[in-house]
Amino acid sequence: MASTLRLYLTCIRNTLEAAMCLQNFPCQEVERHNKPEVELKTSPELLLNPVLICRNEAEKCLIETSINSLRISLKVKQADELENILAKKFLRFLSMRAEAFQVLRRKPVQGYDISFLITNYHCEELQKQKLIDFIVQFMEMHSLKYFRRT
Amino acid sequence: MAEAEKFMGSDNVEDILTKIENKSLKIESLIKPYKPIEAIKTALEGYPPQDERCKFANWIGVRKALMAIKDVEGILRSLNPQYYDILMKYVYRGLSTGDRTTCDQCLKIHEKLTEKAGFGCILRSLTDTVNTI
Repeated sequence: MASTLRLYLTCIRNTLEAAMCLQNFPCQEVERHNKPEVELKTSPELLLNPVLICRNEAEKCLIETSINSLRISLKVKQADELENILAKKFLRFLSMRAEAFQVLRRKPVQGYDISFLITNYHCEELQKQKLIDFIVQFMEMHSLKYFRRT
Repeated sequence: MAEAEKFMGSDNVEDILTKIENKSLKIESLIKPYKPIEAIKTALEGYPPQDERCKFANWIGVRKALMAIKDVEGILRSLNPQYYDILMKYVYRGLSTGDRTTCDQCLKIHEKLTEKAGFGCILRSLTDTVNTI
């Protein structure tokens, strides 16, 4: 169990290392606008293949990259109803304060529990390695059943 | 897309499907006497055409070969480096299935393959929109 977690996190870490190659790219359609292309998905030439990494039926991670932005969506395992509700509340609490986290997305992508949106500006201000460490630590924290008090 | 191919001649797609099924049987026959290296090499030969059914049939064969691997390091050592990119694409397809056993095996292969082939291999599988599997 612990070994699959380690492999799962290593896989995500490696994929993020490779996928986090972002550069500034102003909007092609509207002048003087700069939008994260992964959210709009208007031009297929600016998007890379999305990658879905599943650990099992319940846990998965979707990584979508584009030229200037990267979106990571996580679905965490919830064993029972109570954990489901707790996780939902906690993740909603975090998402509401997305401003403070900078890389968090206010609403998770459909079908997932939490989403991160990393743009080229984040990569310029913050260190790429530390960003990846942050996301992997976030997942580790969840997988260690942070909520389980029993 | 399937309709366009059918217009060209339905034999085309059926032909390819038969070829892929033959390949699948060949892979199985190589797995039984425990020759996983040859099985993998056969499985990774060539890209399937754009048709969804061909891709799926091809994937089934490759999955059999991947699940038969016990010694990942050994296989990667003896595998020709030209197959690393194709293998990485199939590993990601395996990871997207969500089936526990497939994902376990694919995670193991992914870790070792990244150590061997590097991040370039991952990036090539992300950027290649022409040769999809």
